[in-house]
Amino acid sequence: MSRVTQSLVLALLGGVVLWISGFSTSYLNYVKPGFRPFLVGAGVVLVVLGVAGLFTKRKHDHDHDHGHGHGVAWLLCLPVFAILLVAPPALGSFAAARSQAPALPKRDPGAFAPLAGGGPVDMPIGEFIGRAWDDDKKSLTGRAVRLTGFVVPARRGGEWYVTRMQIACCAADAFALKVLVKGIKAPPRDTWVEVTGTWVPHTFGKMPNGLIYPELAGTGLARVPAPAEPYE
Amino acid sequence: MFGSRSGWDDEGVLPPDSWGRGTSRLPWGFAFVVVLLVVGRLTLTPHLTSPALRTWATVFVAVCVQALPFLVFGVALSAAITAFVPASFWTRALPRRPAAAVPVAGLAGAVLPGCECASVPVASGLMARGVTPAAALAFLLASPAINPVVLVSTAVAFPGQPMMVLCRFGASLAVAVLTGWLWLRYGRHEWLRVPSPPHGAGGRLARYGEAMRHDLLHAGGFLVVGALAAATLNVAVPREWLDAVGGVPWLAVPVMAVLAVLLSICSEADAFVAASMTAFPATAKLAFLVVGPMVDLKLIALQAGTFGRAFTVRFVPVTFALAVLVSALFGEVLL
Repeated sequence: MSRVTQSLVLALLGGVVLWISGFSTSYLNYVKPGFRPFLVGAGVVLVVLGVAGLFTKRKHDHDHDHGHGHGVAWLLCLPVFAILLVAPPALGSFAAARSQAPALPKRDPGAFAPLAGGGPVDMPIGEFIGRAWDDDKKSLTGRAVRLTGFVVPARRGGEWYVTRMQIACCAADAFALKVLVKGIKAPPRDTWVEVTGTWVPHTFGKMPNGLIYPELAGTGLARVPAPAEPYE
Repeated sequence: MFGSRSGWDDEGVLPPDSWGRGTSRLPWGFAFVVVLLVVGRLTLTPHLTSPALRTWATVFVAVCVQALPFLVFGVALSAAITAFVPASFWTRALPRRPAAAVPVAGLAGAVLPGCECASVPVASGLMARGVTPAAALAFLLASPAINPVVLVSTAVAFPGQPMMVLCRFGASLAVAVLTGWLWLRYGRHEWLRVPSPPHGAGGRLARYGEAMRHDLLHAGGFLVVGALAAATLNVAVPREWLDAVGGVPWLAVPVMAVLAVLLSICSEADAFVAASMTAFPATAKLAFLVVGPMVDLKLIALQAGTFGRAFTVRFVPVTFALAVLVSALFGEVLL
């Protein structure tokens, strides 16, 4: 790999990283929003190194010292190919269907603030699940809530989950937050929807073993565009 | 989504002035890459829509994109160590006796906030500066596991279980120091490729840039290898069947340890994943947290690229075995 090629590869990778983080929001499909400055910084460093490499010459070319390893630098083009050719979207129903039900951190049962206001309450799906399982005061009872997520069909016919993926760091550690929706016909998978409804209180006292999701008796459904920030 | 990408794409193709001077060949390989990108974008993209492929690509890009800033940071720090910090500093900062330098270097890992991708180039820079390899290796193993960012994220993922944080710190440090001492006692120099400091030509800044370029091209390529493997396993291994294994205590610990290697999750996030594996006992989760930052696919690839294959085939199994044993011990006694 010649020095010019090395420089061009670095600049190409840096340019793509800069593009997805600095000039669009597609980096949100992969990492948390707070990661943006680090990505922009890394992109700038790569571009600067690449461009500087084009205009400087090494005095003593000692490529033969470690030339054996530099073929591997071609692999830096692979993420570029993945980003430009596949344009990987945010994780959707395929990943959600394979994801295990997470153990949400146990919250202090008294920590849930009472729900204010009259109309349907907008809340993240994670909060809905937390209130459904852990809230001693059962603040969800009888309240209309509105959840935003994408559609994952349930194994049992007709029912479906309104779903949001949660990431801690990047999409590699994502898991699905699901709420089972009853009483509304399932929209096509991966459609983003706002679903309005009320919580169906569970009948068991202690959490049973196995996969189990809180349930929502749906009353209203609206299709919405996919949000820029797809993860919770 | 990438409609107006032509801006920087074209920049790459414009022949820079330097081509005219002297010996550098035309970068045909790179031109080929650009042609593939443009042609592929026009012809392949509409067909690359299978959900499995897209999920794989998302995870692959996520691992790369997530690790890249840490790698750049680590490489920058490593280059700074070799270009700006005089070798004499390390001989003064670390105890003269290597056996004493190992635990000091391990503890020093607590101050580098980053994940494992940053620690490999930094350890390599330390060695290039004459720090004894055993101490640099203890630093390499300890820093991604016991730095404040990782410990705080562990505390957040395991609320009300301070012992988990304590055990993670203690077990990780113990493994790092033990591995360092083992290397001191049994390691041979010819196994380890100690990188030579960038020599001579140009000013300090030029040497700094040169060291960064070299490490980025090299370690970056191996990072991609690790990301490929991690994404493939992430999509291919169904998480459900792990639950079945979780119930068998003697099996749970090694399975979680192997999982930590395969999933290659950044050490700043792995606590959340461990916490989500509800079926597994606490000791197995601890093993996951101790093994992950020390041995995982992208780390193995990075180490092989940086320190050589002869080193990696010995270092990785020893570290893995020690990490499993020590975390099992800590878990049984303290958790």
